Amino acid sequence: MTENFVTFTVNGEARRIRVFPRTTLLDALRWQLDLTGTKKCCAEGECGACTVLLDGRAVNSCLVLAIEVDQATVLTIEGLETAGRLSRLQDAFLAEGAIQCGFCIPGMVMAAHALLAEMPRPTEADVREGLSGNLCRCAGYQRIVGAVLAAADGARS
Amino acid sequence: MSHSFQYAQPRQLSEAFDILDAYGRDASLLAGGTDLVVGLRNGRIAPRMIVDLKRISGLAPGIAETEGRISISAPTPLTDIITDRRIQDHFPALVEAARTVGSVQIRNRATLTGNICNASPAADTAPALLAYGAGVVLISRRGSRLVPLEEFLLGPRRTSLGAGEIAAAVEIPKLSGRTGSRFDRLTRRRGVDLATISLCCLVGSQVTRFAYGAVGPKPFAVTDESGVLADRESDPEARMALLSDFVAQATPISDLRGGREYRQAMLLVLSQRVLRTAIARRDRT
Amino acid sequence: MNGDRVGASVRRVGGHERVTGQQKFVGDIRLDDMLHVKLVTVDCAHARILSINSEHARALPGVRDVVSAADLPNPMPRFGPIYQDRPVLAAAQTRFHGEPVAADIAQTEQSGEEAAGLFKVRYDELPAVTTIAAALDPSMPLVQDPEFRTGPHAKTNLLSEWRFGWGETETPAADQVLDNTYTFPMVTHFAIEPHCFLAAPDQGGVTVWSAVQHPFVLQQVIARLLDLPLAKVRVHAPDPGGAFGGKQHAKYEPLLALLAVRLGRPVRLELTLGETFQAVRRTAFEIRLRSGFASDGTLCFQDAECNALVGAYADIAPRVVSKACYLMCGPYRVPSARIHARALLSHTPPATAFRGFGTPQVAWALESQMDEAARRLGIDRLEIRLKNLARPGEQFIPGDKPADGNWPEALRRAAEEIGWETPVAPGRGRGIAVGVKASATTGASYAIVRLHFDGSATVLAATSDMGQGARTVLAQVAAQELGIGVDQVRIVMGDTAIVPFDLQTSASRSVVFMGTAVLAACGDIHAKLQAMACEAFGLPPESVKVTPGMVRVPSRKLTFAELLSEAFAGVRGEVIGVGSRRGERIASHPLGGPPAFYEFSCTACEVEVDRETGEVLIVKHVSVADVGKALNPAQARSQDEGAAVMGLGHSLMEHLILDERGRILNLGALDYRVPTTKDMPLEMRSLLVENGDGPGPYGSKGAGEGGLFGVAPALAGAVADAAGVVIRELPLTPERIWDAIRSEPPRTGPGSSPESCEPSL
Repeated sequence: MTENFVTFTVNGEARRIRVFPRTTLLDALRWQLDLTGTKKCCAEGECGACTVLLDGRAVNSCLVLAIEVDQATVLTIEGLETAGRLSRLQDAFLAEGAIQCGFCIPGMVMAAHALLAEMPRPTEADVREGLSGNLCRCAGYQRIVGAVLAAADGARS
Repeated sequence: MSHSFQYAQPRQLSEAFDILDAYGRDASLLAGGTDLVVGLRNGRIAPRMIVDLKRISGLAPGIAETEGRISISAPTPLTDIITDRRIQDHFPALVEAARTVGSVQIRNRATLTGNICNASPAADTAPALLAYGAGVVLISRRGSRLVPLEEFLLGPRRTSLGAGEIAAAVEIPKLSGRTGSRFDRLTRRRGVDLATISLCCLVGSQVTRFAYGAVGPKPFAVTDESGVLADRESDPEARMALLSDFVAQATPISDLRGGREYRQAMLLVLSQRVLRTAIARRDRT
Repeated sequence: MNGDRVGASVRRVGGHERVTGQQKFVGDIRLDDMLHVKLVTVDCAHARILSINSEHARALPGVRDVVSAADLPNPMPRFGPIYQDRPVLAAAQTRFHGEPVAADIAQTEQSGEEAAGLFKVRYDELPAVTTIAAALDPSMPLVQDPEFRTGPHAKTNLLSEWRFGWGETETPAADQVLDNTYTFPMVTHFAIEPHCFLAAPDQGGVTVWSAVQHPFVLQQVIARLLDLPLAKVRVHAPDPGGAFGGKQHAKYEPLLALLAVRLGRPVRLELTLGETFQAVRRTAFEIRLRSGFASDGTLCFQDAECNALVGAYADIAPRVVSKACYLMCGPYRVPSARIHARALLSHTPPATAFRGFGTPQVAWALESQMDEAARRLGIDRLEIRLKNLARPGEQFIPGDKPADGNWPEALRRAAEEIGWETPVAPGRGRGIAVGVKASATTGASYAIVRLHFDGSATVLAATSDMGQGARTVLAQVAAQELGIGVDQVRIVMGDTAIVPFDLQTSASRSVVFMGTAVLAACGDIHAKLQAMACEAFGLPPESVKVTPGMVRVPSRKLTFAELLSEAFAGVRGEVIGVGSRRGERIASHPLGGPPAFYEFSCTACEVEVDRETGEVLIVKHVSVADVGKALNPAQARSQDEGAAVMGLGHSLMEHLILDERGRILNLGALDYRVPTTKDMPLEMRSLLVENGDGPGPYGSKGAGEGGLFGVAPALAGAVADAAGVVIRELPLTPERIWDAIRSEPPRTGPGSSPESCEPSL
């Protein structure tokens, strides 16, 4: 099987890697770019642990072939911090106590980040809907939803 | 996934047709990938070549409106369909249906044509598209043809997409007169799920059309032209008799998601509910 | 300063790493020259292996080795926490769907996966025991070879049985006798982190990486299997991405350790989510409960027959059965009890520990029965519980540890919070349930605290922080005792070469056991500081007083750092404190000893039922936990919130579905449904009762499991209240509720209670 080059921007940095067609974006991030923040769980688009932003939209990176993202822009959890400062959303997760084991958190935060970019003033129902593709087994979701709403509120003031 | 394949990203339709000619049944078309990549992972499909449709210059994503119809091109993600004002105005039940497909992450990639071409008996968008009388535009080197959806869907994972053909768009004729429509479905949990049953109702002044999904080898539609269902004052027993006839045409099976009897019973329960809502929407406009 | 320590909802230690993606879970670890392992299985539960042809797999580029039972030591190495019954690889037979018969080791995950598909395994499929009835049927095959069994039941599928009880031997008279059977199906943990393991040869020994809750237990297992001294086996236990009991005991670490030594290189195995479902599950229970009540609702007797379906290998499941069934009568006073419990083997994934450790299953039966009694006797369901609930200090199991909390208070608070006395809207109903669990009965936890020259500290404690926040509360304890901020404490966990012994992280024990050890280690530091001050200033002990952060001598007071500076001067140094808590085994006690504390919790909920479709909407969910003292209230409540939603999962939607060949049909997230954000209750409240009556630091008890105990019976009780149907089987899917409603005779009035009806489906 032949490898192809794919060039894309990850967290603001241009990267060029060689991938097999069957390599998913998730595996390329975790193994070739050493960005292990994005997690692998169900690998079939049901759990959201692998959520990244692709050209500004939240997607399950386990269902995207790396080779599809040539010339595209990808944002992962590692790209949310700027110059060592957490984003308002990340800080809200910490402040609201929304994190337990943390494994779902990168995907959850990326999905929430995308939600707030589309919808800066979501209702609680909007947040529940927007995060319904991200499974969590620890937190029961309440504080996660609270964190997203707090971050939205914080952006307004 | 362990299966090896090649990948092509044609820029022109002619390139795409060349590849399809060369690989025949060993080629799979890739739009959003949310069904295809799962199929590759679990070994359900094992193509030698995957043709990415997303960069073909003759096949850009987009929704186009003409006087008589709205056309949704193949690479258009469901998210774009859901947020489009024209779709919301003309085909609200399609928006309702599209919103139930997977999660936000799935809908940002999944496409309408992909959902149809995958032809799962439980495809959520199918009942809405059937109710609205949608058709699929198939293109090939030989030209293009419009196939009504009920003829396009043949059975579980089988469509009438021919060799060398690409589903390029879904076309939906605009409705005339006052109409109301509603899509609903039953699932095992309130969150993201596959449908245990799904259905859509479109009601006009005289004609009522129901389409059902996940209750047979393919989604199907039935029509009442008598006016009984469309009339909110009609005799409830007559209405029930008609609805019972409709749902009797379904052939649900028992599987992981639900038992046959339950599905059959829920078809009637939900049919009554969506009819009520569709009529209310019609009469509000 | 106190906003920062015990009793404060301090920000989670490790939160920053998790929210930035920096936290290294075991699957994120990369070792140089690492090879990838893939398991080879057959597509049924019970098979006799005839031959394994790995020729094509071996020939695939990138494949370094293939291994089957024939390549492992003979006799086949076996392991298990109670019985050493589990082979490292299946040899002549497979005993559950997913039990590996071989493995390949390759350069990349993908080539490993491809190679696994190239094995040709010839096998005869054999009948599979997958239900309790089949396990009890003498004509069905034996799951385990009698040659490897001990005890009187070796030639059956009965693994072990227990009888507990007290009171009159003859069934006492009662005004109302109920006799019902309740079932709790197989469910799986579905932690978001699938299992992943690494192993590497290391200095004549082996190092293993596993997100294991019990690193020292694993160390022992590996040392024995590889015939190595403990000092040569190192276990790195990164914080698990969720565990819930599914990461307590060895699964594939033994295989990896053997492969690492065989290949002389690091090896890695990451299970898919489906493979994870095949590896761990909860023990399924079927409980027939005969209960006698007086007409005023007083409990007269309980007579329970419990059959528990464990998997093909015992794992820790027998302990689940004995511990939970010992408390079959719950937190109630009952003069006479007979409990007969059996653990039955089956050709299914090994049942292991799972949050609650049998208590959710027992509470499902017991609390549903309490509701039934209330309905039959015309007594309010809250009142019947209050009437029978043990009071603080009451010995509710004769001769054993008495009730160590104010349980009626917790129950009353839950009732108040759900609005039990207020009218409920039409179509809606309420339920309430309690549960009690014996925490750890034995164990040992050691902690080392290093007080650094500047007064900051490092705590070495082998508790596993799997999301419950152990790092944070232990840091809070150390911060409190040393008079510093939490941000001046480093917590080191998860490395058997560095951190002292801790038996395990389970049974909500860590605050009590490890918290006490940390507290004791800090006390040791205080004592050492006192001695240092005596020597430095030439004072007798009575003149030196040490309090958190401060040393007082007649002429002055010094901070710890100031004392160290004076005492150690130019050469510097640190003060090392050691602490421990041990609970020794008491052979005469049926469980090996009374529990350090009881974990008691109450759940109440209000639901709306759509009678036509059977769908349930949870309007409000309340949980109340009796925690003694919440060292970190936000974390304690968070755990209960998570437990509540996890409980909703097994109550409404979760079950492993097997076909007649023992194959799990819903392997993976597509068809094994767990709650999402849209399945949350509309409103959820979690409350803590803090009476300072626990044995842990500052009067604390453990927590984290209780929120799960009463969810199913509270929900079922609410559904019965709303829709008039009683269901005794889980999960309460819409279809099951619909089926029960349509089988039910029509109700005669708003207050009529449902006739006792057959379990549906």
